[in-house]
Formats: sequence, structure tokens, C-alpha cells
Amino acid sequence: MKSNEWNRREFIVKPILWAGAARVIGKTDVLLASTIDKAGPILQRTLGKTGITLPVVSMGVMNADIPGLIRRSYELGIRHFDTAAVYQQGRNEEMVGTVIKELGVRDKVIVSTKQLLRNRPQNPAEAKNRFTEGVESSLKRLQMDHVDILYYHSVDSVEDAKAEGPLEALQILKKQGKTRFIGISTHNTVPVINEAIRLNVFDVALVTMNYTMAHNTDILNTIERAAKSGIGIVAMKTQAGGTVRPDPKLPKELPPYTQTALLKWVLNHDFVTTAIPGFSTYEHLEQDFSVARDLGYTGDEERFLSDKGFAAQAEFCQQCGECSQDCAKRVDVPALMRSHMYAVQYRNPGMARTMLASTPPGRGLNACSGCESCHVNCRNTVQIARKIAELKALTAASVV
Amino acid sequence: MNKQLSIRMITMFLSALSAIVALQAQTAPPKATPAKTRSTAPVQLASLLNAPLPGKAAAQGSAQTYNPDTLYQYIDGGADLYLLYDFKALLHQDFRSGPTDLTVDIYEMSKPEDAFGIYASERSPGYKFVVFGAEGYRDKGILNFVQDRYYVKLSSSGASADPLLDQFAHLLSGRIGGVRSLPSLLGKLPRESRVLHSEQYVKKDPLGHAFLAPSYIVSYGQGKQQSKLVISVASDAQSTKARAEQLNKHFKQSGESVAAPELGEGGIRAKNSFEGRVIARTQGRYLIALFNPSENGAEILKTVAQNLP
Repeated sequence: MKSNEWNRREFIVKPILWAGAARVIGKTDVLLASTIDKAGPILQRTLGKTGITLPVVSMGVMNADIPGLIRRSYELGIRHFDTAAVYQQGRNEEMVGTVIKELGVRDKVIVSTKQLLRNRPQNPAEAKNRFTEGVESSLKRLQMDHVDILYYHSVDSVEDAKAEGPLEALQILKKQGKTRFIGISTHNTVPVINEAIRLNVFDVALVTMNYTMAHNTDILNTIERAAKSGIGIVAMKTQAGGTVRPDPKLPKELPPYTQTALLKWVLNHDFVTTAIPGFSTYEHLEQDFSVARDLGYTGDEERFLSDKGFAAQAEFCQQCGECSQDCAKRVDVPALMRSHMYAVQYRNPGMARTMLASTPPGRGLNACSGCESCHVNCRNTVQIARKIAELKALTAASVV
Repeated sequence: MNKQLSIRMITMFLSALSAIVALQAQTAPPKATPAKTRSTAPVQLASLLNAPLPGKAAAQGSAQTYNPDTLYQYIDGGADLYLLYDFKALLHQDFRSGPTDLTVDIYEMSKPEDAFGIYASERSPGYKFVVFGAEGYRDKGILNFVQDRYYVKLSSSGASADPLLDQFAHLLSGRIGGVRSLPSLLGKLPRESRVLHSEQYVKKDPLGHAFLAPSYIVSYGQGKQQSKLVISVASDAQSTKARAEQLNKHFKQSGESVAAPELGEGGIRAKNSFEGRVIARTQGRYLIALFNPSENGAEILKTVAQNLP
């Protein structure tokens, strides 16, 4: 079992030398390490077709019930604050609204909130009403007559994405001026964002994006396609690793350069307008916002992102496919490894199931059932046999 | 004659006294259970919703349980805060009782302080507070309360929603048992001008400072005059001193900070543009800080220092 020391590192992988990462780095104006100390201008980007221009680093207020932190964020130059109705049962929205009002800067900031529709009612009219009532309550807590972005929160299936009730509510609320723009937030990027592109009603998408996806062209290409269609992209979970929640019991924190490296990796995709890291201390705020002035990697950051020893510890499948030739049954081992990653690291059994279902007939997990043990060897560091055994156990337990 | 009368009177007096004692024994309230008595048997989360239930409530679908790895599936990003407070498990169940729908969420945390911490983070001083467990409140179809290491959240809609919420709260409180009081340290803090129901227990990054964790935070006064009293609890005096030095350093870097021995051990007066003014001192394993202190802030620090264990 991995020690706690590696828990947070488990999903930080992919040597910088991999083609995908190299392509990304190539897009970056990599400055000399010494330039990191120079305070350049704050980098800004435009959010899709909204016309809103934002610094590339914003504030996810979710973890911070701290008025001083919002004030300091504004002082430093942050202009977008993201909250949600479900955070601290509305207290988070109240705090954001109070501080923005005290500062007198409502017209200078972009405020987003999100509405979750739990146990979505089957009746579209009821769903629409519940969604609308929820938003009205949010506006009251925020002490605002409108927000700039209203997200349909945590939409993780195509069915939910196209649900009539919330969609109608969002569009009516936009027409009424209760929100300037409407967005969708999701952890199930590929199917949901593809549906969002098809629906052509969303102005913004809030997506999980971080370095663990460096190899995942499906996700990155989907997000880029959304951006090209005009949807503004806001990135979340940029440093937490997929949808896995941070472990608060970690014995020590990773060094600061690991966090700035991770944030820079995301922002070096220029189809991302801004990221909303959820810092909760003044120290982390300053650290994260330093990235807004310089996306070039320092030596430490480059070394962190290319650390093969680190990648080896994390056992991340590089999808090279060389292991498949070892399997007498020609099982699609890379697909099984991806499914394991979704199930275990991303804690997303839905995506894991989708991955398993996409394997060619006769080459999926079922083909492994006849083998008592797996003799396929990874050319890198992945313990394939162990991961396949874990995947079998998860499917047997109906988790996947 | 007089002797017989005296004996008779004494006898009558003793009989009456015995009768009074016997009567009191019959009508005396049961001996109050000390607030910190714990249940003799550990509570099984799933058993808290066993039949019989109030209002002949019928389960709608099967109960769902969530653990630290799956909680986000229910409350998405809201799960992070629960995890910070050592969330163990959630039992979720929907019910129907006649025309009334009810949702029961019972969060099991690691310790009573953790349950209080997460409860307080979601509580607003403006709610209507009710007597369930250590503390509870109602607001538009919800009734939430904290008791022992459990945070119970009930929501209901339809006719008879409020009575059903009360009935379920009574039942669950009885079944949970255990600690029915707020963390004891809060009782040692000044009551004058305290904003009722503003107490918090913050395990991570209190007021944006990792080194202050964990801390109890209480608000005093109103509006722009409102102060925040922070009691940062360290393991020992040496650790407290280190925290005080970090606080001093933070304010020196972001604003200004000067030594203030008149405040007591390790006293400082500091300020910056985004946190305002603060006065602080140490007392054993506690760092006591008052943000936006009132005119009698120094007295408050002194009183708190004297009362802390």
C-alpha cells in the first residue's frame, strides 16, 4: 500500500518528454527561470463569446469562509469569484455577497454561482420551478439582482445536461437579466461537454482539468472543441487531481513549485480562459496568483513535471500499447488501465464503465476471466496484474 | 402528660417527615444524566432509521450510504469541507408520510468537535434555533441539529412538514444519545456582547492562516464594530509561541506589527489593509487573538486568558 506521502502524488504523472506534454510545452513562451521574480502584467484572456476579459487566475471560494481572503484577492488583482448554493448551505454565497458589497466593487468583478438539482424531478415543470427558486435564493444571499455566470451545477450525464426543466429555467433567467450568462459544470467531461456543444445554449463550461489528463486526448480535445465553438472555458480541480478530493490528513504538503507547476500546465492551454483554484490561505493565494503574471516554467517546475521517478511511483499508464502483445487473448490492456484510472483515481465509476464498454468485443475485462493471473508486463512501471485484479473486484462488487 | 404529648408530637413529626421524604422520592425527576455521558453501546448508523418511525413514514427507495470517497457524488464540491472535519459516513433516506415528503441525512463524523465544526460552518446566526441535541435550528422546511459526533439534516415539504420534522428530530436525538453539549472551551469565553450562535471550530486554515489550526472563533458586537475572537489551540506552549511568531511575521510582511507587553505574554498589536487591526497574546497552549478589537479588547484578552484551562 502506498504511504500517505504519495497519496496526493498518485495522480501526478506523465513525463514532460511525452509527445502530448511536449506539444503543450511547445505552446508556452518558456521564460528564463530568473524572470519568475519579475512582476509582469497580469495575463488576461477573453471568456468565449461573452466579451468578459479575466485574469487567468481567479478564485474558487468554495474552501474559504474568509472575508479577508476575498479582500486580499481583489487587492492583488483577482476579478472573478466563484461560489455555489451548496457550499456551506448558502453561507459561502452570503460571505461573497457581503464582501463584494463592502468593497463596493460589484461592477468591477465577475461573480458566478451554481445551482445543483439533486434528485432531479421527472416532471420538467417541477424541475424548472425548483431550479428557479434555488437561484432566487442564491441572489438573495448574494445581495445581488443578478450574477454574471449561472452554472447548472455538477452535471455528470448527457441525460441531465439536456434535461428540459433546468435548461428552460436557465434561459428564462438569462432573459430576465438574473444572470448575464449561463454555464454548465461537470466532472464527466467528454459526453457532457459534447452535449453542451450540440445544445448550443451554454456560454461557459466549468471543467475539471489537470496534469493527470496530459495523456488524455479525448478530454483535452473535447474541451478545446468547446472553446472553438465559442464556449468560454473555466478550469477547476487544477491542483487536486481529477475528481479525487484532497486528503486533509496528508502529513506534509508538496512544495509550492509543484502547485504553481500544475496550475501553469493548465493555463498553458490557451483555450482555457481562467482557472479557479480553491486556495484557503494568504500564502497559497499569493503563490497561485503569481502564475497570473508568468506562465513560464522555472527549473524546479520543469523538473517536477518531468520526474520519471515520480511518475514511476505513480504507476501511470502511458497508453503506449506495447504490453498488449504479451497477452494471448489480445485484451485491450491500455483501455483497462484507463478504466482503472477512472474508477480508482478519478472516483468516477460511470466513466470507468463507459471505458470498459468501449473495448472491442472479446478484448475487454471479460476476456480476462479465463486467466488465473496476468503475465502481461508493462515496459514502464505499471503493475498491470494488480490493476486488472482490482478492476475485476470493482465490477464484481458492482462499483464499476 | 407533657412527656406523652412530646413523644406523640415527635412521633407525628417523624412520621410526617418520613412521608415527605417518601413523596419526594416518588416525584423527584430522574437523576440528570451528565452532559458528557456516552452511550454504552456504539451507535450503528444504519439502525438510526429502523422502524418504528414517526407519522408511519414509509421509505421511498432504499437507504444510501456514502463514505469519504463517494460523498462528492451526493454533494459535489461541498464534500471537501466535510472531509476536512473527518467525515466518516452519511446515511441518506427519503420518506413519505401521507402528503408529506421528508429527507433524512445523518452525517457521522470522527468526534463531537468535528460534528460541531461542520454544523457551525453551515449555520447562520439568523436562523431560528431549537433545542435538539447540543444545538439545532429550523429554516424553511429544514431542521438541522448536532449531537455527539452526528450532524443530522432533515428537510421536508408538503402539509404537516414542520410537525414531522420535530418528530423525527426527537426520535433521532433519542437514538443517538451521547454528548448533548457544545465544546466545553466555548463555555469559558466571555458572554457579554457575544453574537449568539456565531461560534465555530475551524480545523483548517482559520481566517486564512494554516498555522492557527485548529481554532475556535467567536464573533462579538455588531456590524462594522464586530470583532472575531480566535482561540488557536496548540499542543503545548512551545508550539503556541511558534504560532505567535508566525502571526507576527505575517503582519510585519503585509502591514505592521509591534510588541505589546501590556496585553500579556507574547502580546502584539498589528494591522494590514485586508484583515484590519488585531491584538494577540499567548496563554499556555493557546494563542488568543482579537480581530477588529473594540475599545475594551485588551480586557477581553485578559479575561479569556484567565479563564482558559
